[in-house]
Amino acid sequence: MQRKVSLFVPCFVDQLLPEVAVDTVKVLRRIGYTVEFPEDQTCCGQPAFNTGYWDEARPCAEHFVQVFKNADIVVCPSGSCVTMVRTFYPDLLATSSLRDDAITLASRTFELSEFLVKVAAVTQVGATFPHSVTYHASCHGLRELHLRDEPLQLLRHVNGLKLIEMTRYDECCGFGGTFALKFADISAAMGNSKADSVAATGAEFVTAIDPSCLLHLQGILGKRHAAPRTIYLASILAHDGSTQKSAAQKSSAQETT
Amino acid sequence: MPQTKETQTEKAQTENPSRDQILQRIRAGLRTAVLEPAATASDRIIFAPIDNPLERFQHECVSNLMECALTADSAASARRLAEVLQSLPEGEIFAQDDPSLRRLVELAAPGRSIRWSSQGAPAEASQATVTLAEALIAQTGSILVTASCGGRGASVIAPCHIVYAKIAQLVPDLATALSRISQERILDHNSFACVISGSSRTADIEKILVQGAHGPRRLVVILQTGT
Amino acid sequence: MSTTAAQKFLQDAAVKSADLMHREVIRRGMESYDAAHLKGRARINDWEAARQKCQEIKREAINHLDRYLLQFEEKITARGGHVFWAANSEEACTYVKDLATRRGVRTVVKSKSMVTEEIHLGPALEKAGIKVWETDFGEFIVQLREEGPYHIVTPAMHLLRGQIATLFQEKLGQKIESDDPAYLMAVARRVLRQAFFSAEMGISGANFLVADAGVIAISTNEGNGRLCTSVPRIHVVVTGIEKVIPRLEDLAVLWPVLATSGTGQGITTYGTLIGGPRRPSEADGPEEFHVVLVDNGRSQLLADAEQREVLHCIRCGACLNICPVFRHVGGHTYGTTYPGPIGSVLTPHLNGIKEFKHLSYASSLCGACTSVCPVKIDLHHHLLQNRRNATEAGATKSSERLMFRAWRNAMLHPSIYALGGWSMRKALRIVYGLGLAGSILDPMRVWNRYRSPVPLPSESFRARWRKDRAAN
Repeated sequence: MQRKVSLFVPCFVDQLLPEVAVDTVKVLRRIGYTVEFPEDQTCCGQPAFNTGYWDEARPCAEHFVQVFKNADIVVCPSGSCVTMVRTFYPDLLATSSLRDDAITLASRTFELSEFLVKVAAVTQVGATFPHSVTYHASCHGLRELHLRDEPLQLLRHVNGLKLIEMTRYDECCGFGGTFALKFADISAAMGNSKADSVAATGAEFVTAIDPSCLLHLQGILGKRHAAPRTIYLASILAHDGSTQKSAAQKSSAQETT
Repeated sequence: MPQTKETQTEKAQTENPSRDQILQRIRAGLRTAVLEPAATASDRIIFAPIDNPLERFQHECVSNLMECALTADSAASARRLAEVLQSLPEGEIFAQDDPSLRRLVELAAPGRSIRWSSQGAPAEASQATVTLAEALIAQTGSILVTASCGGRGASVIAPCHIVYAKIAQLVPDLATALSRISQERILDHNSFACVISGSSRTADIEKILVQGAHGPRRLVVILQTGT
Repeated sequence: MSTTAAQKFLQDAAVKSADLMHREVIRRGMESYDAAHLKGRARINDWEAARQKCQEIKREAINHLDRYLLQFEEKITARGGHVFWAANSEEACTYVKDLATRRGVRTVVKSKSMVTEEIHLGPALEKAGIKVWETDFGEFIVQLREEGPYHIVTPAMHLLRGQIATLFQEKLGQKIESDDPAYLMAVARRVLRQAFFSAEMGISGANFLVADAGVIAISTNEGNGRLCTSVPRIHVVVTGIEKVIPRLEDLAVLWPVLATSGTGQGITTYGTLIGGPRRPSEADGPEEFHVVLVDNGRSQLLADAEQREVLHCIRCGACLNICPVFRHVGGHTYGTTYPGPIGSVLTPHLNGIKEFKHLSYASSLCGACTSVCPVKIDLHHHLLQNRRNATEAGATKSSERLMFRAWRNAMLHPSIYALGGWSMRKALRIVYGLGLAGSILDPMRVWNRYRSPVPLPSESFRARWRKDRAAN
């Protein structure tokens, strides 16, 4: 059977963090999968859904289901977006003609680390990343998708990587989607508490399976001119030890003033 | 004072104008169908079985900041009671009016001023209370007292509460104790019962544990293993 | 124009979020709880089975609420107790006030009851000229400070010992020699003891109403609740109708679970069961026993198919303790009787969705609350449902709905979405290039207040993909 996956790229990754998707593709190809990217995809509908506008979220969800209807496996570099599809689409589309398609699609949609460890059954992806890294357990991945160990298994098999545990690694970073803007003070306070935990480990990098957490933390750490840098899990796994710009160099190139 | 069902309902309707309204609203609300998930397997063991209740009881007493003194017979119990009472300041002792306690207290503290539960509630300035218990519970290191054990105040008013119990009163766990209360209709014969698991305490300031709040600072169990 | 609850919340949240001293006090308190809680859970062989059992007990109770309430009422009344069903706060307060007045009550001692906070019983009695003493140590402290409880289990956890010593010095008219917690407790004990032994009425709450035994069950540690329900000649219980449980034996699992979730203890020091006034043969006890069953919006929740289970709450406080929002803004910021996740879920139902929907939005939906709830209430999903209910009730701004309609239209057309994304990045690059980040012209100025600007790549992923595909 052909090993093929369809890539679901969160809208904010597409627009603001394309390297997250680029590195995801790199890793999937390295372990022998063909990746296709259905170009009609837009957004899973989470922003409207989370704000309570389910009527507005529904057509987006239906569009998503149509786009990925014929995909065998859908892989996505984001725990929160996969949660939207797996946990909430069945309810959101309960009265839709696409309800059954949504349910079966949900069972074929995976977050990246989940796909690697549980579907492709690999923990060793040939990565080399000789840096100290601490892991933040993004809430959706942890509590909705129940992914506690999978990302850590992948990190433990990265050559040269020093994994440092942070205190309260499973406490929310404070992003929460529109929460970050509607309740900016609280979101920032939570982000700063998380940044304190990161800094206390002395690690060079903090990683997670949700790039939205990392986007928020990147902003918080950047404002503090703090040393640790954020890096998405696949971006670590994409490092194969060949000559390329180090992650540290890459990150500073992307920072805007 | 018991009432017949009719007078109860009549009384309820005249003095309780909203009662029927609330019941109606409850019944209307309950007509909404709610998804019921399947019940789980009842073979899952919530609390580990207790192999050695006495050992467990003693261990829990330590964590509960309770004193548990094992005595071999009533003479030893009297001696232990004497020790505890002597360690307290001068002042009235309150005791549950029970023949075994009358004997024990007479042996232990012949000169001491005693107020018996048959005379009423303990005085506010009592230095200690002495009571029996309905049961001891190993799982949580608890004593079960009822209103028959000298009343409600007997286990809370004085700074020191002393319980005189026999080993046969020790039950393994809460489930057993509660089941006994139901079966023996203890709450129909007593307006009050209490499962007490330590000295009174508070952690309201900075979560720092302070032993001895409004209730007793000391809870002593004299647990007699023989006759 | 008066401030709405939502505006006040934002103001208070802004102040508290920046208060690093407050954050540190709470962090220490919660750290202590976390350690105790873990120890408590280790005492239970199968914690998940315990949660499951508690959920089943409460579900059975709530799903047959009328039956169990009537069974409870029958037994209490047969023993000479009185049961009063109060539709709302006013009815409950009036009953207690009238009873107190009829019986010549001048002083009341009160043990902790969140329902009495909800119905504002203290002020109602004080207005009638009755002195009310809060006897729970934490409640006693916040009563002196003239503020509400900060947390439903530990009302004064936001205060340091020095502040409490100063407070006692100011308000109690005696010299305070030390800020040692044991010393301060002893001061309170002396003051309150006079109250316990002179009050004509004791008011308590109830953690559970046991239907088959016909008793109330109260879980406490200090002994103040014991004294309130033993010494004064009248005992009044004020409780929500949802506190029912079917059987006495249910306490075998509920008591340890409540204690573990509330404080990390294996069981609270006193598990008190009271079924009526003193019997003639008993040495002491109140001559009168009243139970006030408060509805105040609870019966309405029964009809909500999704959220009926919110009535299962046993008020343990675990969700408050784990909530990162609570840990950063504290209990007073919520401005409600019940703060934290349970408060955010429940308050719109009790006090109106229009005024209190903002609490359901003031959450990152992290789900930590749901993971610790001992009766397995799906708290964070209920917050989502409240948000949906708010928009469907027309309680949110119409401009917001219009914005999401426009957003939806863009998302249904890939080319519009792509153009929109490109335009946004382009516009931001221009704004930032002109040094206008954070100004009124910056659409991301809220983000930029606390964070360095988001990256603005020149190419989206899909543009790169298309390019790479064309090249091969």
